[in-house]
Amino acid sequence: MLRRARHIICWPERDTLSRLNVALHRDIGYVCASLILAYCLSGIALNHIDDWNPDFVISKQAISLPHPFTKEEITKERIAEFGRLVEEENYKVYDFPTSDQVKIYYDNASLLLNFSTGHGTYEKVSRRPVFYQVNVLHLNRLKGWKWAADVFAFILMILSLTGLFVLRGKYGMARRGKWLVVAGMLPPLLALLLFELK
Amino acid sequence: MKFKILTKTLTMFVALAALCVSAAPGRAVEPHAGAKIGVLLVNHGSRSETWRNSLLQLESSVTPSLLAVPSVKGVKTAFMEYTEPSIATRMKEFDQEGFTDVIIVPVFLTVSPHTFDDIPTIVGLKEDPHSMQKLKIENIQRYTSKATPHITPPLDFTDILQKNLLRRVTALSRNPADEGLVLIGYGDETYDKEWVDLFDKAAGYVRQHTGIAWYSYGWCGHIANYKPEETTAAINTVLKHARTALVIPVLVAHDEQFQIKIIGDGIAKVPDHKNRVLYKPDSILPDPNIERWVVSVTDEYVRKIQSQVSRAN
Repeated sequence: MLRRARHIICWPERDTLSRLNVALHRDIGYVCASLILAYCLSGIALNHIDDWNPDFVISKQAISLPHPFTKEEITKERIAEFGRLVEEENYKVYDFPTSDQVKIYYDNASLLLNFSTGHGTYEKVSRRPVFYQVNVLHLNRLKGWKWAADVFAFILMILSLTGLFVLRGKYGMARRGKWLVVAGMLPPLLALLLFELK
Repeated sequence: MKFKILTKTLTMFVALAALCVSAAPGRAVEPHAGAKIGVLLVNHGSRSETWRNSLLQLESSVTPSLLAVPSVKGVKTAFMEYTEPSIATRMKEFDQEGFTDVIIVPVFLTVSPHTFDDIPTIVGLKEDPHSMQKLKIENIQRYTSKATPHITPPLDFTDILQKNLLRRVTALSRNPADEGLVLIGYGDETYDKEWVDLFDKAAGYVRQHTGIAWYSYGWCGHIANYKPEETTAAINTVLKHARTALVIPVLVAHDEQFQIKIIGDGIAKVPDHKNRVLYKPDSILPDPNIERWVVSVTDEYVRKIQSQVSRAN
């Protein structure tokens, strides 16, 4: 009876485990490749969020009016005239954020004018291709995506752990591998140490 | 017969007179029974519970006075970002409850794309392309209500801020002759001039009433990438001339991320800050003057709505 139980809980052979590990690592790698690349691209973009807008291309064009205007002179006809300066035929609506400024809204663009100084900015907004889409995923802007992201994170952990045991021998974890793992740990550990000492 | 006619005429006259007398106080009687007006106090929203509670407290404080304004039948608070109830949620509720008009009171310091573009775009009054894209990626729902939205101006169109800052500076100050004032606000790239003017004016008012001569300002919001360096720089500017810097957060409510983390870290980087910087991580709210402003601006807009209704009739 005891002998049979021992047989049931017996671990698979080492070679079998190794083959399973390689297969798991390979197939997870295939499945995750596109999302890993998307997240990496978005990660780089978001790392530099202080220096650029990773989601939108905002083009700004300085506009000068022929002369300053008073608020009373800002009529519908005048608004249409201002639109022609930026090649916009039809405006949607206009409004005054302050007593000396008017903002005119168009399709995908707006014109903010300080009519007392005669200067303004025409602004056009468009989505930054690829980056906008990968950021939607990376920042969980899609409702419910956070659950997919959680699953993905869990799968990445498996990918990382199975990666440690793909090879055996000279290039395996027991020899060369362990030193490379330690080398990989050093940059974050040093950064954290510097952070604490600061 | 003649007596009957006389009696009827007299009865009608008495009834009319009674109506006139009851209508005389004005505010006690609704001139236009058709208008059912709601008030929506809109704020920026925050992940900080302390911040949100300050705004909910404002709603609790002003609700009795607002409900006393003719035709105002409901008061709610909405958070523009981060948490529910959002503006769209609240506007839907007003529609379900049959409101004809909603007065949106932006509890924001001054003009910014939030007050001028985002809120009107959310409620369907505008279609600002930049706002629409931003709202989409931030998952902020837009909703065009059946009730007509009316948006009031933000806080800075009154002298409330100046009085608020004077009160807080006075409470913190020990020796005005040795002190300099540092105002730290959210800031805005598009309306930078208006923000700077607002802060200059407020600092001028404080100087006039306290004698604190030196002043500088710094931003801690998106324009400063939410980093403390601008706070440190503003304090160092003042400390070149004054022995002590009084740091006042010009923020609507208390948010740990701003008052503690960003401004606190900015102060910590100032040499000898323990002896040279006086700081209390408070905020503009609570302030009874702001409560009064909410009531008075609502009252003003109710009158406008009623005069529109009356013209239409």
